Amino acid sequence: MEMVLFVLSWVSIIAGGVFCIIGAFGMLKMPDVFTRLHAASLIDTLGIGLIFLGLAFQAGFTLVLAKLAMVLVFVFFTSPTGTHALCRAILSDGMQPETIDGSRAVLVDEPETSPDEADEAEEV
Amino acid sequence: MEDVIIISLLLFMAIAAISIARMHNLFAVVMMTGLFSLLGAAAYVVMDAVDVAFTEAAVGAGVSTVLMLGTLALTTSEEKPASPKHARSAFVLVVITGAILVYGTLDMPSYGDPNAPMHHHVANRYLEASEKEIGLPNVVTSVLASYRGYDTLGETFVIFTAACGVLAILGRSRRPRRRDEAETDNKPEVDA
Amino acid sequence: MSMFAVATVAVLVSMYMALIRAIRGPTVFDRILAINAFGTLTVILIAVHGFLAGRPEFLDLSLVYALINFIGTIAVTKFVKYRGMSDPDDEGLRGDL
Repeated sequence: MEMVLFVLSWVSIIAGGVFCIIGAFGMLKMPDVFTRLHAASLIDTLGIGLIFLGLAFQAGFTLVLAKLAMVLVFVFFTSPTGTHALCRAILSDGMQPETIDGSRAVLVDEPETSPDEADEAEEV
Repeated sequence: MEDVIIISLLLFMAIAAISIARMHNLFAVVMMTGLFSLLGAAAYVVMDAVDVAFTEAAVGAGVSTVLMLGTLALTTSEEKPASPKHARSAFVLVVITGAILVYGTLDMPSYGDPNAPMHHHVANRYLEASEKEIGLPNVVTSVLASYRGYDTLGETFVIFTAACGVLAILGRSRRPRRRDEAETDNKPEVDA
Repeated sequence: MSMFAVATVAVLVSMYMALIRAIRGPTVFDRILAINAFGTLTVILIAVHGFLAGRPEFLDLSLVYALINFIGTIAVTKFVKYRGMSDPDDEGLRGDL
């Protein structure tokens, strides 16, 4: 049982570390701010998730496991919210992603229009 | 392993500090200052001072960044160009002062040395007598709140004054609106 | 014990790359993004270092920093949005404050 936990935690931590490096490298190399946002979300989800999973295997059933779970739950709720807020701020400033066919992203604030018009606008 | 972490964090702090000095966009400078405080908090954790790290993370990376952003909303966001006349002599003076300070630290006892004079005179008395005299389990709390209570009183005064000053400056401004709205609002009403 | 060292090295390398993006990023949103990622990497670093030093009580600081990172990102995004961004005079600075 010890050996299984040991191997599992090694695998999780190495995978989490690899995903952190991939996410940060993508953030460095991607051409546009929207694609960088997408690459950086790897760190917030897979990076921290896998590394904390590996730490949880090392911790056992103690209070430390509860704290790790709390941090994970909090990051699970706040990281997509933060990314979404940042993307809305970028779009409301007027920047547009570089697309192949020239389609534009439209920020949908409140559905003041009728449902037919709201269907035509592309939702972000 | 801890040496590697501390050296890397200090190197990142140096890179952040150099970039703070070189960038002209004040918004980016404020964000880099938050990042610098964050690196400082991580360095404090690696040095086992978790309470200092709590304070540094909360104040430096959280509150201070938000307050500086509130100040930036009132002023311009580009740094005014500094005159390069005295740059060279200022640089020489700063390098000399820094070299003197580094030379002064060569004489200090090494980090965590148990024979350092700091660990012999009053600190022993605090550590031994704190349980009987004060009764709190945390020695840091008993030193801050009881043995050095006047220091804490002075610090409370200072922080309260700083908070009052910040609220007096930043609290008077409303949220700045867009420029066209502000102009039309300021036009005086003309009575027919 | 050495798996924590590997995780620490990986997180430090990622921190370096996020730092480069924070310094270099042409628009302000690149910097906000980089600092948000840097905050998450600090949360990971403090947790892993707690396990490395044999004191997993450092997780409290990770939790505090995760909270502050979120609040800081939302505050910065709010300030950026309500500032009234691009000046009508200089169109070239669109997206940068």
